[in-house]
Amino acid sequence: MTSSPAGALISTSQLGHAYGDIVALHHLDFTVPAGRIGLVGANGAGKSTLIKVLLGILDPTEGTAQVLGIGVADDPIAVRARVGYMPEETCLPLAQTAADFTVYAAELAGIPTKAARQRASDVLTLVGLHEERFRYLGEFSTGMKQRAMLAQAIVHDPDLVFLDEPTAGLDPEGRAEMLSLIGRLGEFGINVLVSSHVLTDIESTCDWVVMLDGGRVLRTGPLTGITGSDTVDVELLGDGHDVIAALQKRGAEVEVRGAVLRVRSTDDAFDLIRDALAEAGAGMKRLSQSETSLEDIFLAEGGAE
Amino acid sequence: MTSDQGVVFDLGYQPHDGPRLGRRGAIFATIRDGLRRILGIRRKARKKVMPWVLFGIAIIPVIAVVGVSFFVEDVFTGVDNPFASHGNIFTITSSTFLIFTALAGPELLIPDRVEGVLSVYASRPMRVNDYLGARAAALAIAAGGFLIAPQLILYVGLASLDDDGWFSGLVSNASDLPKVLLAAFFYLLAYGAPAFLVAMFAKRLGPAWGVYLAFMWLSSGFAVAITEATSGIWRYAALGALSINPDIVMDWIFGRTTVREGLSGADLDPIWSVAIILGLAAITWIVGVRKYRSLL
Repeated sequence: MTSSPAGALISTSQLGHAYGDIVALHHLDFTVPAGRIGLVGANGAGKSTLIKVLLGILDPTEGTAQVLGIGVADDPIAVRARVGYMPEETCLPLAQTAADFTVYAAELAGIPTKAARQRASDVLTLVGLHEERFRYLGEFSTGMKQRAMLAQAIVHDPDLVFLDEPTAGLDPEGRAEMLSLIGRLGEFGINVLVSSHVLTDIESTCDWVVMLDGGRVLRTGPLTGITGSDTVDVELLGDGHDVIAALQKRGAEVEVRGAVLRVRSTDDAFDLIRDALAEAGAGMKRLSQSETSLEDIFLAEGGAE
Repeated sequence: MTSDQGVVFDLGYQPHDGPRLGRRGAIFATIRDGLRRILGIRRKARKKVMPWVLFGIAIIPVIAVVGVSFFVEDVFTGVDNPFASHGNIFTITSSTFLIFTALAGPELLIPDRVEGVLSVYASRPMRVNDYLGARAAALAIAAGGFLIAPQLILYVGLASLDDDGWFSGLVSNASDLPKVLLAAFFYLLAYGAPAFLVAMFAKRLGPAWGVYLAFMWLSSGFAVAITEATSGIWRYAALGALSINPDIVMDWIFGRTTVREGLSGADLDPIWSVAIILGLAAITWIVGVRKYRSLL
């Protein structure tokens, strides 16, 4: 995978963009490493605007951005030569076949015609459209169109591909297949930035997250660091009053969530729970580190904003 | 030991290690795609019909006359023969070319914008000027074939009838070729620029064709009507005859004194028509760059 000398895939400094009086991005400062990056946020959070600024389609009204170590404002052509883009809205010429359009998409990125034909064939096979490649794009279903859009985004073997809401409009099966394809891109050495408001999509495909809310960065970091927590969940057998009392006696904070107790302690929570269970003579069904979903974080921190 | 079972080798994903042609490659690809669109190549059959029928209408009469000239004496030298000169050929093909441009201009720009394909260009190494320039180049190449091919057939045909021999005829008539190119250039600008201007704003092909043709023909109709009915400063209204301006410039280039019905009373220097054509082309370019800057 290719990245800037400093190891950053994308970095921004005080990046902002406004549509007239409406400010879409506020002073974004973040750096993400190579890999699969999730760009999370509600509709209108600024995800698509950020991608367009990183592609050089929109000029930043303040600040700077670097993609693959190249200043977007300094040399947008150099950035575009190394990236792919799957927009949220459809981007397919309906009067062309999938094969012709994918070849053309490769040629537009500077791939010579012969190699473009070979790559188009390979990539259409990869996304599951090999049998349909000579059909006109206007005859494609939504799921097939999404696959064709992914094919055009990666046919030229980019170093980084921007995927803007790639699962939009797909049924559950199509969504799972698309997420599986996105997950495989990392294996091919293609860095991915996936934008989505469906947080579970990001959790299942990405290893780094940038959370946007109202045009501001809410959180950014590795997925495990963001969703991991210092609490332990224990699901008890039977009544939990004695266990709760034993835990609280040992200085633990206990939150009751139905049949599950969420235990937080400055000491080792696992040891604490073991001792409390022994003291109360209670049994348990499950004991695990608590996991906070992106949705939990988003609701907690986004709501606070 | 051999097996009668086939073996599937999964080669996986193959990265591209070959050359990348960058911006130049993107521009040439866009020109090629434009030509295919205009001519309906690698498109459904109905997309091919009109451009090739129009091309046939433009070229077949010239081929026929040149062919007949080998058997019938004085075909080219007859006083009333409409095929006797390059200027006359332009007059005949220009009407067909106007319709061809009405189809080609919108076909080059509208689908990309309406179907969201501009997003793909936005992630490729090209700028707004590259995109618009490549689309204009595609139209220019197609126009070249449309306007110049009949002229070349005539040029070769005239040479073949030269008393001093074919090669001598080619040499003696060679001075016509730059004039042909220049006249074709002005036809391209005069008809292509308004077609692009309409296509930049229209959302559907059919209405764009109609608006363009109405714009070109009605502007000429109004210009003629105003010129005929008025005098003095109003004679400059003749310059609004958008479909006739390139005819006036072409006459000027070939040194012809054709009487344009309804506009002869204006008695304007042809340089005015040149200025109108170039001005409209410049306006189209500026509008296009401004409009497409936020899209690409």
